[in-house]
Amino acid sequence: MESLRRRYWRLQPGVQRRLKIAVPYSVLGVLVLLLAGIYGSSPDWIIWAIFTALYVTLEFFAVEVNDRLFHSSSIMVIMTAGVIFAIEPDSSATLGMALMAAVGPFVPDDFRERRWFQPLANFGQAVVSAAVAGLILDLLLGNLGTPTPQSLYLIALAAAVASLAFTTVQTVLVRHAVQVVYPFDRLQPWSHLGMLFVSQFLMGLLGGLIGGAYLIADVDAILVLIIGVYGIGHMSLYAFSQLRVSHLSAIKGFVKTLEAKDMYTRGHTERVAQFAEMIGVEYGFNGTQLEQIKWAALIHDLGKLAVPTELIRKRGRLDDEEYAQMKQHAHLVEEILAEVDFLQPMVEIASAHHSHYDGNGYGGRGHIEGKAPSLESSIVAVADAFDAMTSARSYRMALSQRYALNELRKHSGAQFHPDVVDMFERALRKSGRRWGAPHVNDEEMARRLAEEPELTLRG
Amino acid sequence: MANWHPRVLSVVSWLFLLAVVVVGVYALVASGGPLLYIVIAAIAIVIGSMFGVATSNSGNHFTMGLAAAAATPFVFSGLDITEPAGSIASFSLGLTVVWLIRRLRGETERDLLPVMIRRFAGYVVYAVVYSAMRVGLFADLSGGWQDLFPFAVAVVAWLSVEVLLRALIVFGPRELSRSYLARAMLHDLNVFMGLALTGALFGELFAPVGWWALPIALLPYSFAHSAFKRFQETKTTYRQTIRALARIPEVSGLGIDGHADRTTDTATSIAKEMGLGPSQVEDVEYASLMHDIGRVSLSEPQILKMGYTDDDIARWSAEIIAESAYLQRVAGQVRDQYESYRKPGEQDDPDISIVSRIIKVSAAYDWKVHRSGMSPLAALEDLHAGVAYEYDPDVVASLRRLLEARGVLRPVRV
Repeated sequence: MESLRRRYWRLQPGVQRRLKIAVPYSVLGVLVLLLAGIYGSSPDWIIWAIFTALYVTLEFFAVEVNDRLFHSSSIMVIMTAGVIFAIEPDSSATLGMALMAAVGPFVPDDFRERRWFQPLANFGQAVVSAAVAGLILDLLLGNLGTPTPQSLYLIALAAAVASLAFTTVQTVLVRHAVQVVYPFDRLQPWSHLGMLFVSQFLMGLLGGLIGGAYLIADVDAILVLIIGVYGIGHMSLYAFSQLRVSHLSAIKGFVKTLEAKDMYTRGHTERVAQFAEMIGVEYGFNGTQLEQIKWAALIHDLGKLAVPTELIRKRGRLDDEEYAQMKQHAHLVEEILAEVDFLQPMVEIASAHHSHYDGNGYGGRGHIEGKAPSLESSIVAVADAFDAMTSARSYRMALSQRYALNELRKHSGAQFHPDVVDMFERALRKSGRRWGAPHVNDEEMARRLAEEPELTLRG
Repeated sequence: MANWHPRVLSVVSWLFLLAVVVVGVYALVASGGPLLYIVIAAIAIVIGSMFGVATSNSGNHFTMGLAAAAATPFVFSGLDITEPAGSIASFSLGLTVVWLIRRLRGETERDLLPVMIRRFAGYVVYAVVYSAMRVGLFADLSGGWQDLFPFAVAVVAWLSVEVLLRALIVFGPRELSRSYLARAMLHDLNVFMGLALTGALFGELFAPVGWWALPIALLPYSFAHSAFKRFQETKTTYRQTIRALARIPEVSGLGIDGHADRTTDTATSIAKEMGLGPSQVEDVEYASLMHDIGRVSLSEPQILKMGYTDDDIARWSAEIIAESAYLQRVAGQVRDQYESYRKPGEQDDPDISIVSRIIKVSAAYDWKVHRSGMSPLAALEDLHAGVAYEYDPDVVASLRRLLEARGVLRPVRV
């Protein structure tokens, strides 16, 4: 025991946190299975096997709808089976559903990649939530006798309650696990959880109804038809998710092309997106807002594609004419993306990233002379300025994070939104990462270092 | 069929509508069933027609009305209504109302008539085949597997009629080949099948569980429907984004204004005229939109100093496109866009895809007309002069047919 404890403390914090979830969840799962096995009567094994096969298949083909958020329709199958087990005499839904849920999480991929956490945690949460739903179905439908079309009301009610319980328990357990395992990121996908909750609930309800209809009508044909409609929908959803990914990659690809024009700005947009997201998280933005601000950061320099490279790379001050040409890029992003409806809010944010808090600066639609730009634009502006300082340019070395933060603070209230600067500082402190060159604390030195490489070598 | 005069078209439309009404009334009398059910089915078809999945680039438009219609033969055969008369009666009634609604919404007869004709014909075939199949082993709905057989045969018959008519009936100028039209119809098979299966599901369930069939049939479909919608929406935004990005060289003054858009229009029209399938037409569309994106590199002073060729631009364009997973396939086609379709003295023709050949001809045509200021006819003659090795004669011939159909070729004095 002693050595085990010592070994636990020697583990990395990430592993510790995972164990903190995986162990209690899986133990709980096993306990629930045992209890259900002792007190519940066994289901019809042939039906159980058919539905379990279907259940596992659907788990396997879960579709990524949003970042890291998976849609799986397996709840429909498990609820159908649950209603059948509950109504049929001498079989308990609790045991049938819990056993079914126990098999689902063990996907071959996880074994191949030697993941232990997801299968164990999912095993626990699935068994517990399925057993709760099964218990409700057993209690409400156990004494129903032979179902008739009239009893569909009761079946629908029971399915609704069970599905609600299933989804709620599952959401709570998954949420808790995520909070323990990833305490530092506020994971944005979880803001979509509400939407997923409703669709899972409806899916479960539907599953229950199908189970009822199946027992009443005893029709095999409807199962084929439902699986048909469902499979078609699932395929479309799959196609959608693939298209969505490639949509993102297409735009990222273009942004990369932009950066390829200037090796000194390589990676700039992606870092700006990262900083902007950090600030957004600090502000407690929801998933949509975060997504929006990330997009805005990604496209904020798109207009530069149309600005001659010499100008972008020019060292020193631009003359008036050059400055006017440079200012143009804020408008160009609007012109380029004018026809892309879904990007319009992001374009507005991006077009004002050179707009100042005191109403100076320049920009497109999002910039109004004499007025502060939107909070989102201010965030992109701070992120942009910070990265510009902490990364190398053709004419100077990268500056240190301390210098960059000082600079931001110096101009906060005039060029930058003071709150945003504060939030950014806090976010940087939390992340624990440092950006920029460690000791380059003034602009002059950075320029000299860039011009005389030997100086750099001597440090 | 040639380009129909609007007045002729109008007369034909009214005749068709009259025919639908006559068939409907005749079927109504023959059905001998209670009018109420037939009216309810018709109303379901009309209401269903409001919930559609518009499938953007293939030109198909399917609605829930299709599911309602698919369900009626199932439901009616359990209600002692003579089939297929009952179903045909309710469909005729529904179709007439839908026609009037869509006319009032401002849809033209030219667009509406072919859709209505093929849907009506397709449905009549479906109802007739279905009821003809319901004999012997399949006579009663038992809920078993055998229920699905008449349905499967009838749906295949329906679909065949629609595909056939889609290719045969066009009242506008013929720009699209029949083969393209037939393939476009099949392109959205998943939506069609989703709707038909939903109808069958409702029909199967109606006898045993009554109106509970409605939520049970609608819930899976609503899932499928939202998936269709999302897919279409993403596709639309994707297309918008690609179009927008394709304009970057033009916005920065590095390309010719409108070149990408015009080339795309010509190229996709040629592709459809030549009878390529919808997914190939999509390739043509993306590839021609992006064929000159490599010009963004022309703002690089070093490149201007070193000089560049058309081939370089094609290579740069392909490199940029290759960044997107979805467009990987297109990248190679863009890479080949300036290649000749065959080379003098070589035994084998180079392996240039049809997509690249189409872009080559379309881009050259646009360049000649809008940059060199030639008339369309002169440009076409010029392209014909290059068919020995440079331009694919099949593509050039297709361009000629296209321009003739559009009526832009005017004789010029030399």
